[in-house]
Amino acid sequence: MQKRRKWLILVIGITSFFLLTSCGVETKQLERLGLITAIGFDLKKENQIKGTISVTKFDPMAKVMTNLISADANTLQTLRAEENLATDQRLEMGQLRCVIYSKELAEKGIIQLVNALNRDPTVGNMVYLTIAEKDAFSIISMDEKKIKVNIGTYLYNLIRQNVERELLISPTLHEFNHKFFDYGQDPVLPIINVKKDKVAISGVALFNDDKMVAKLNNDKLFYLKLLTDEYRTGSKELEFDRDEFKNIINTQGGRNFGEIYNKLFISLDTLRSNTSIKLVDKKNLVFKVEVVMDSRLLETTNYLELSEPANMKFIEKKVNKEMESQIKKLLLFFQKQQVDPVGIGNEYMAHVRGKPISQKEWKELYKSAKFDVQVNNTIVRTGTMD
Amino acid sequence: MKVNLHPKEGLLINAFMLVFIIHSVQVGVGLAGLPRVVYLHAKHDAWISVFLAGTITSVVLIFMVQMLKQYDSADLYGIHVDVFGKWAGHSLNFMYMFYMTSTFFIILMNYVEIVQVWIFPTLPTWQLTLVLVLLVIYAVYGGIRVVVGVAFFSVVGTIWLAAVLFVPLQFGDFTHLFPIMNSNAKQLLMGAHSTTLSMLGFEIILFVYPFVKEKQKAMFFVQIGNMITTIMFTCATLISIVFFASNSLEKTIWPVLSMFKIVRLPNLERFEFIAVSFWMLIILPNMCFYLWAASKGFSRILRKKQKWGVWIIAIVAFGGSFFIKSRYQMDTATDLVAKLGFYFAFCYPVLLSIIVFIKKWYKRRESKHAETS
Repeated sequence: MQKRRKWLILVIGITSFFLLTSCGVETKQLERLGLITAIGFDLKKENQIKGTISVTKFDPMAKVMTNLISADANTLQTLRAEENLATDQRLEMGQLRCVIYSKELAEKGIIQLVNALNRDPTVGNMVYLTIAEKDAFSIISMDEKKIKVNIGTYLYNLIRQNVERELLISPTLHEFNHKFFDYGQDPVLPIINVKKDKVAISGVALFNDDKMVAKLNNDKLFYLKLLTDEYRTGSKELEFDRDEFKNIINTQGGRNFGEIYNKLFISLDTLRSNTSIKLVDKKNLVFKVEVVMDSRLLETTNYLELSEPANMKFIEKKVNKEMESQIKKLLLFFQKQQVDPVGIGNEYMAHVRGKPISQKEWKELYKSAKFDVQVNNTIVRTGTMD
Repeated sequence: MKVNLHPKEGLLINAFMLVFIIHSVQVGVGLAGLPRVVYLHAKHDAWISVFLAGTITSVVLIFMVQMLKQYDSADLYGIHVDVFGKWAGHSLNFMYMFYMTSTFFIILMNYVEIVQVWIFPTLPTWQLTLVLVLLVIYAVYGGIRVVVGVAFFSVVGTIWLAAVLFVPLQFGDFTHLFPIMNSNAKQLLMGAHSTTLSMLGFEIILFVYPFVKEKQKAMFFVQIGNMITTIMFTCATLISIVFFASNSLEKTIWPVLSMFKIVRLPNLERFEFIAVSFWMLIILPNMCFYLWAASKGFSRILRKKQKWGVWIIAIVAFGGSFFIKSRYQMDTATDLVAKLGFYFAFCYPVLLSIIVFIKKWYKRRESKHAETS
């Protein structure tokens, strides 16, 4: 028993020696760290990238809480080393929230910079990737007094709240990777823009492989979101010829309203939707896109007689037709640009047996794909009034 | 040396514990990289391969337990001597001890590598190995009941990690799974073969069996343990296939750990640190059982105290850790041990059990003849 206790003390002693002194493990004191919250990349010239970082300090004595450092290099790690030389703190990537690539860089390809993030275990998987409309430097160097918070946090909140409201496709590092590495789908990232000291999302960038090829404006985003995700909230304004609705416009005793528009606009809000993309003809590559959705009528620019079920049916029919043509137009636009953010390739590959086809073969096939779009929209509510 | 081992009443364990023993020894470092290695062979049908491998394991377990039932209360060391005689039997025993030592070593090194990659990049290998080896020695010193206790606590303490694995599902793309059964039989079998390293551990039943109290129930609980493992592995693989794009799954070394990156709690941004730390609890029973079973050989074969075996094996493993420096050396060593494991845990026990069945059948016939004549 005596002998056993001796061993026990020895083992516990040695173990706790290593654990308590944390010998060999680097210590990281919070006050001495500079946490990188946002990185921006610009193409300086050929073979050289300009990186800009926004750093948050935890030092309570410091007046400025964030710091802006910029450096030129070829790889992300050299950039970090260069930047480290320009600050009194040790830079850490663990709290990285947002990465911005300039449009110029995105058009040339960004996968090498994205892979650098993938390889680094300290970088989380939920970092947001974005594209700057012009250059990344001007976004990172935004005056902090105007946006009140650190630019990294600001961008993070900007994107997150829009993703949560389902207005934007989530642009996390994980999702970018997933779509990039998938043969049958291409990534999309939001484009941000500085306008009068405000940073805002101005659209999404469509990628072919890792190269940005086209920009999709905010008004088309609804349809893209409809095609890719289970869509819950988010509204869309539809434009119609007023003459077509002549019969159901409530004239309110002969008076005319909404004359400031020469068209009729209807604003809808989706409560739930379900999109299925099916490969119906393997030989001719016909995809049937079927959207079933329940929506809520929010706003019309003219008084419409909504209490009649027949009128509602009429509006539904019109809305379906409009949406069908818009979705079809969007799909054809994607096809023309050779991008596939919807994941049509995945659908194709899931139904074709045999040897998996390569991305190149799919892109070749994609050119000849045909789409048959069908929207089935039910207006379930019209708000608090008829 | 006696063929049968009759431990004292106080050292016996309930048959029910076999569920925890088998499950905890199977789940280990292999699981972290399992989806990828299978995916490389069987593509998006990898989960079928894993399920197939689990079924094969359960068949091998039937052979093992049936073989053990032929004896009163024997372990593999005893059976070897009974079947092959003293010299051949003992050389086989030594080979088995060598195999278990190398498995112990590989588990240790793989875990240290994971810690170095994910949490502490500058941590010297020997420090963590030393701490872990001492911890395992301490557990094994407590004897079989403590080792079983470690297995029990490991399962109870880490089973919640399996539930967390379902969080990544919301980022999944289920079209990846289709078309089902697109891989041919050869690919599926190759995939099943590559699960070896993860499935290993069930062979520990060959050494624990004498310590089981209700031996007639052993088969049932062993199968339950293996079933839980199979379901868990299949789910993990399925989720990985759905979660990762095909190319990135092929490149990610530890897909299961990478999936934990997606989990985010309000006051804990990076869940994978917790997962990697908890992984130590998962591999602890692995190492304890291998060290225990290998060192048991010392007391059985050489009639030395088991303590000698514990220290010798631990020092060999610790010393070996200085020879492995880089990822590719690690890979070659792991592949080698996986290959060893395939023969030692899957093929050889089946062969041995067939030999035992034939031998016992002969003996019975002989004794019957003797009675009748």
